[in-house]
Amino acid sequence: MRSSDASVSPRSAPTPSQEALSDPAPAPVVAYDFGLSPRAIERVLAAALDKGGEFAELFCEYRISTRIFMEEEIVKKTAENVSLGAGVRVLSGEKTGYAYTNDLSERGLSQAARTAAAIATGGAPGRVLSLREGTPGREVYDLNRTLTLVPLETRLDLVRRAYEAATSYDHRISKLQVSFADGLRHVLIANSEGLLVTDVRPQVRLAVSALAEHNGTSDLGFFTGGGRVGLAYFQNVLPPEQIARTAAEEAIILLEAVAPPAGAQPVVLGGGQSGVMIHEAVGHPLEADGNRRGTSIMAGRMGTMVATPQVTVYDDPTIPHLRGSLNVDDEGTPTQRTMLIERGKLVGYLQDRLSARLLGMPLTGHGRRESYQHYPIPRMTNTILAQGPYAPEEVIASVKKGFYAKSFQGGQVEESGKFVFSVNLGYLIENGRLTRPVKNATLIGTNVQVLKSISMVANDMGYFLGSCGKEGQSAAVTAGTPTLRIDSITVGGRR
Amino acid sequence: MNKSDELLALAESLVEFGRRAGAEEVEVGIRQGVEFTVRVRNGQIEHLVEAGARSLGARVIVDHRVATTSSSDLSRDTLERLLTNAVTRARLVSADPYAGLPEKEELAVDIASLRLYDPAIASLGAEEKIQMALRTEELCLADPRIKSSYGATCATSVGQFYLANSLGFSGCYEGTSISLGVYLQAGQGDELVEDGWYEGTRHFADLPSPEAIAQKALHRVTRMIGPRKIPTQNVPVVLEPDITGELLDLLFTCANGAAIYQRQSFLVDKLGERVASDIVNVVDDGLFPAGPGTRPFDGEGVPTRKTAVIEQGVLRSYLLDTYSGRKLGMRSTGNASGVNNFYLAPGPYAPEEIIASVEKGLLITGTMGWGFNPVTGDLSRGAFGLWIEHGQIVHPVAEVTISGNLASMLRSVEMVGNDFRLRRSIIGPTIKIAEMTVAGS
Repeated sequence: MRSSDASVSPRSAPTPSQEALSDPAPAPVVAYDFGLSPRAIERVLAAALDKGGEFAELFCEYRISTRIFMEEEIVKKTAENVSLGAGVRVLSGEKTGYAYTNDLSERGLSQAARTAAAIATGGAPGRVLSLREGTPGREVYDLNRTLTLVPLETRLDLVRRAYEAATSYDHRISKLQVSFADGLRHVLIANSEGLLVTDVRPQVRLAVSALAEHNGTSDLGFFTGGGRVGLAYFQNVLPPEQIARTAAEEAIILLEAVAPPAGAQPVVLGGGQSGVMIHEAVGHPLEADGNRRGTSIMAGRMGTMVATPQVTVYDDPTIPHLRGSLNVDDEGTPTQRTMLIERGKLVGYLQDRLSARLLGMPLTGHGRRESYQHYPIPRMTNTILAQGPYAPEEVIASVKKGFYAKSFQGGQVEESGKFVFSVNLGYLIENGRLTRPVKNATLIGTNVQVLKSISMVANDMGYFLGSCGKEGQSAAVTAGTPTLRIDSITVGGRR
Repeated sequence: MNKSDELLALAESLVEFGRRAGAEEVEVGIRQGVEFTVRVRNGQIEHLVEAGARSLGARVIVDHRVATTSSSDLSRDTLERLLTNAVTRARLVSADPYAGLPEKEELAVDIASLRLYDPAIASLGAEEKIQMALRTEELCLADPRIKSSYGATCATSVGQFYLANSLGFSGCYEGTSISLGVYLQAGQGDELVEDGWYEGTRHFADLPSPEAIAQKALHRVTRMIGPRKIPTQNVPVVLEPDITGELLDLLFTCANGAAIYQRQSFLVDKLGERVASDIVNVVDDGLFPAGPGTRPFDGEGVPTRKTAVIEQGVLRSYLLDTYSGRKLGMRSTGNASGVNNFYLAPGPYAPEEIIASVEKGLLITGTMGWGFNPVTGDLSRGAFGLWIEHGQIVHPVAEVTISGNLASMLRSVEMVGNDFRLRRSIIGPTIKIAEMTVAGS
C-alpha cells in the first residue's frame, strides 16, 4: 500500500489548439436528467445533516462509454458500458462519512444520506441553504462531434486505420493491439452551502501497442493519443496513423537497444515524457492532504526554496482539451491554474474542500474522485513544468557522458519523496550526442534531492497522457514538460 | 442484502431476451455487494464508507461475432436497450471462429465446502470494526519511533455473484471478507520510511488480533529506519513472501493464455520444458478452502480446479479461459477471471535459515514501480530491503534498483522457505535467488 503512485501509458502527444478543433457540424450533447428537483436534493442534504454534520454534498453520475479492441487483424470486441449512481458525503471536523447507491430515487438517496450522516454524533441538525443553480463558467472540453455520439463505424475506422499504419510501418512489426475508448461523464454536484452545478465531460483515448521481432529479439512499443477531444482531433491534430507509427517506431528502435549504464550519473529527460517525474516528484508531494497530515516530505516547507531557480511548476485544469482538464472539480469548485513552485520556491498546494478548510487556505479546484463510489481527495489535473531558456540540443550537448530518457512505462512515489520511473526507451549520451538506444532502465531518487539537481530547462514542451492512482482511485491526468537536465540521479539496470 | 433468487432469475430472463433479440449465445453475470470501510487516524475516525452496489455484465455472440456490455443501472428498460445494442454492434465486428461460450461442465464441488461465506462477518457491527482499527493504531502510536500514522483500516465485504448463459448454465455463490491493517511512517527529517501490515480473511475467527497486526507493522517500518546506500553489485537476493508474490504476478502476465497466443511471453512453446529450478512448484488452485481467490466457477461458468503450472521446474500448463484455450487447441483451466489462488508451494527452510545462508546480499522487503517486459522477461524496479553480511541482517537499504530476467531468476531459485500462508491470492514463501544486479550509488 504505497501512499500514491501513477501508472501510466505516458506517450507524449501534441497540444490540440482551439482553432484546429473547431468543427462546423456540432452534434448537440444533452445533459443527463437525473430526475431530481432542487427541492428533493435539499431534502436529501437535510437528511445528511440530521445528525449534526457541518457540510453535506450529493454527487450524481451517469457515465456512458464505448471500447473497441483489435488484434490479430480483426476487431475482436466492442463494449458499451453504463454507470449510474450517486454518493452522499458528510463532513464533521476531520471526519468524512460517505455512502453510495445505484438507487437514485429520493428514497434511495435519503437512505444513503442517513448512512453517511452517522459519522457525526450529536449536535443540532446542520443548515442547508437553498440551491442556486450555476454553470461551470468555462468550457474546456470539445463537445463538438463528441465521439460518443458519432456512429460506431466512424470509430471502428479510426481503429482499423491505426492497425493498418502500424502493420505497414516495417516488416518486423509482428503483432499489434489497438484499443480505443470514448466516454461521456455527466455529473451533478449539490451541497449544503447552496451549490448546484452540472458538467458533461468527454474523454477519448486511442492506444497502440506494437511488437517488433527480428533475429530472435523482440520488443514492445506503445503510444497513446486522446484527451477531452472530439472527432476533429483525429482529423486535424493527431491522426491514428501517426499514433500507430510512433508506437511501431519505438518497437523497431528497441530491437537494437542495449542494457543501461547502472549508477548515479547526469540524466536528460526528454520533453513530455519527463512529465512523469514532475507528476511524482512535485505533484503528489504537494497535494494538500499529505501536507495537512504532516506525512508529505514537503510538509512545513511552504515559502522555502525546494528546487533550483530553474524550476517553476503549476497545475492547470483550464487548458482546453487536455486529458486532465476540468470546468469544475468533483466538488463543484470552478477550476483555476495553481502555482506550486515558483522559481524554486514552494508557493502552493493542490486543495480539496476538506484540506482547504482544515488548513485555512483557499480552494483551488483539485478535489477529484474516480466515480460516485469514491469521495473526493486532492488530485492533479494537468501538471506543467514551465519552459526554460535552452534549446533541447543545448541541454543534451551539455552532458559528456550520461543517459537520455525518452519514453516511460510509469512511475511511483512515496510520501517520503522516494520515487522510481521505468524507462521504456532511452539513449546513451556520449560527448553531448545521443548514441545507442537503451532499454529497461529504472530511475530512482528522492524528490528533495532531484529538484535541487535540475540544472537546465529547455524551451520545448510535450505532454503525456496518464492515469494516476492514489488511495485506490484512478484519475485521468496530463503532465507537460520541456527537455530538462538532472545533474545526478541513480540509473538502475544491469551493468 | 442476502442471496437473492430474484437476481438469478433476472440473469436468466436477460439471457432469454438476448436470444430473442438475435444472439446465438448469451451470457449474463450480476454482482451485488455491501462494503464497509473505516479508517482511523490519530485515534479519530477519518472516514467511514458504507454502501451497497450492483452491476451487470453481458456478452452476446452472433455468427462468431462478439459484443459485451455492462451497467450499474439495473432497470429493465436500460438492460434491454443495452442487449439490443450489443446484438447490433456484434454484427459490425469481424467474425472470430474461436469466439463462443464454454461447453457446459458439471460443477464437481460442493460450494459450501469452499468456506467462502461467514455469517459472523455479515452481522459484525460497525462499532466493533471501528474499535479494532482504533486498537491497532493505538498500539502502533505508543511506539516513540513512529513519526506519523497513515491510519488503520478495517473493511468488510459481503457479496454475491450470479451467472447464467444460453447453454443452460445457471449458478451463484456468495462470499465474505474482512481485513485489518495499519500503515506507518518512521524516521526524521529527509530520511522518512514507510511501511505497514494488513491481514485479510474470509472468516472472522481467522483474522489475527489487532496486537499481532500492530506488532508486525511496527517491526516492518522500524527495521527500515536509517537506510544506507550501497554500491552497485551482483549479489544473491532473498525475497520476502509478498515479494515472491510480485514475482508470481509477473509470471502470470507471461503464463496467461492471451500472452501465449499473442506470442508476447517468454513462455511461448515451452510446455514440458524446464523453465525453473527443480525446487520450484507453482500452482493455481481455485478450490483452496477459504482462499482469497477461491471460487467454484469462473466468470464464464467453467468449474475452477487445481492446476500445476510449474512442477519441479517444468512448465506443465498455461492459465486459460475458453477463448485462449481454443486458440491454443487446449481446454479452459477455469481462469476467465484471472488467477484464482496462484502460489509458489512451500519448501523445507525456515526464513532465518535462508538469510543465514547468505554471505553478502539483499533481503528485499518492498519494491516500487513497474519495469517489466513479458516478451523478454527482463525486469527492473526500485527496491527497499535489508543488507545481509555473514548471514546476519546488518542495516536497511534504500534507493536501489534490482534488475534481472524472470526466466533466469526462476532457474536460479536456490532455497524455498516453509513460511507459506495464503494471505493474498498471489503469494509464495520466502525464496533465495542466486544472483541479481543491485544498482545503488
